[in-house]
Amino acid sequence: MNLDDHESFQRMIDQNLAGAISAEREQFLREHLSTCAPCKQYLDASNRVIAGLSGFSFELNPTLNSRIVAALRLQVPQDRAARPRPRRFIRPFTVSLKAWAALAVALSMSIVGSALLCKMVTFLLVPVHFDNAQVQAGVLVFWLLPSLCAAACLLMAPVQKRAIA
Amino acid sequence: MGPCFVYPPYVRYELTSRPRLESDTQRIALGLRQGDSTVFETLVEQYQYRLVRYLVSLLGRRDGVDDLVQETWLRVLERGGSYDGRYRFEPWLFRVARNIALDTMRKRPMLSLDSNEGDGIRSSPASDEASPYRLAARTQDAERLADALQTLDPVYREALVLRFQEDLSLQEISVIVGAPVSTVASRIYRGLATLRPQLEGETA
Repeated sequence: MNLDDHESFQRMIDQNLAGAISAEREQFLREHLSTCAPCKQYLDASNRVIAGLSGFSFELNPTLNSRIVAALRLQVPQDRAARPRPRRFIRPFTVSLKAWAALAVALSMSIVGSALLCKMVTFLLVPVHFDNAQVQAGVLVFWLLPSLCAAACLLMAPVQKRAIA
Repeated sequence: MGPCFVYPPYVRYELTSRPRLESDTQRIALGLRQGDSTVFETLVEQYQYRLVRYLVSLLGRRDGVDDLVQETWLRVLERGGSYDGRYRFEPWLFRVARNIALDTMRKRPMLSLDSNEGDGIRSSPASDEASPYRLAARTQDAERLADALQTLDPVYREALVLRFQEDLSLQEISVIVGAPVSTVASRIYRGLATLRPQLEGETA
């Protein structure tokens, strides 16, 4: 075996240590190492350097952790205050007062409008022989309930999506 | 007849209905996003030594490292939301630390930022300061390596520490140092080649 072979295998050893070698080449390298003393020696020396790197132990300042944790604790509330609040579906009471007032007005108008509509339809439909109860039920189903639902949906919608109120 | 290993129905139900546990990195990412102080304290406890070791390898000195460590954790708190829990936490942490160290070095005119590798790192202990590696050596081989490590180009030293001490992959190191994988590999080879003669001819 010539010198070039050793050099190429030693490059493979470096690549293997760095984690830059395929499984097939690693297997090929293993087979070579089992028969080649100089390459095995090269690998041992490299492994010894790597093990030597673990022989250092840096002393930590004993107050460092507590100092950092204290600094982090000071920082956390400020950080949270600066962060935008999560979106809520219904505003807090004080903020949503306007929305409730709008709902009350909408309800009142809806009820008054329903009463007027009831009177008008009763008057207009006399020739068709609808009785009062039928007219009231029609107004309730086709006018009052949809308007109540619309008002409730408006109130429950996220603040950002409200077109009105 | 052998024992029967079929679970009774209630056990099976309990096993299948249990929610999948989040991985550690996802928990860290969530904690950082929410500003959870418990998560921060755990991370500080867990990574403090490794952060110090990495910064010493980067700067080649011990003084001023504590301030950089503190600055790093504050930056982690500030920008923790950008950590992606799908990846390991260490590379992200070391990258933050590295950026802070480089920023700090740029602000100090007495420190040269030139490097043989053009990476913007060149540092060494002040003339009156003892080598941190000499002070930290705990084994005979470490003592033999101390001086060579001290004089080693910081980019080689950094690559060696990240690969063999932090057990990071070439890809992860490449992200930290902002260099191609081939460059990182080359730094590791050269670092090993520089240190190997220090231990040759000595018995273990």
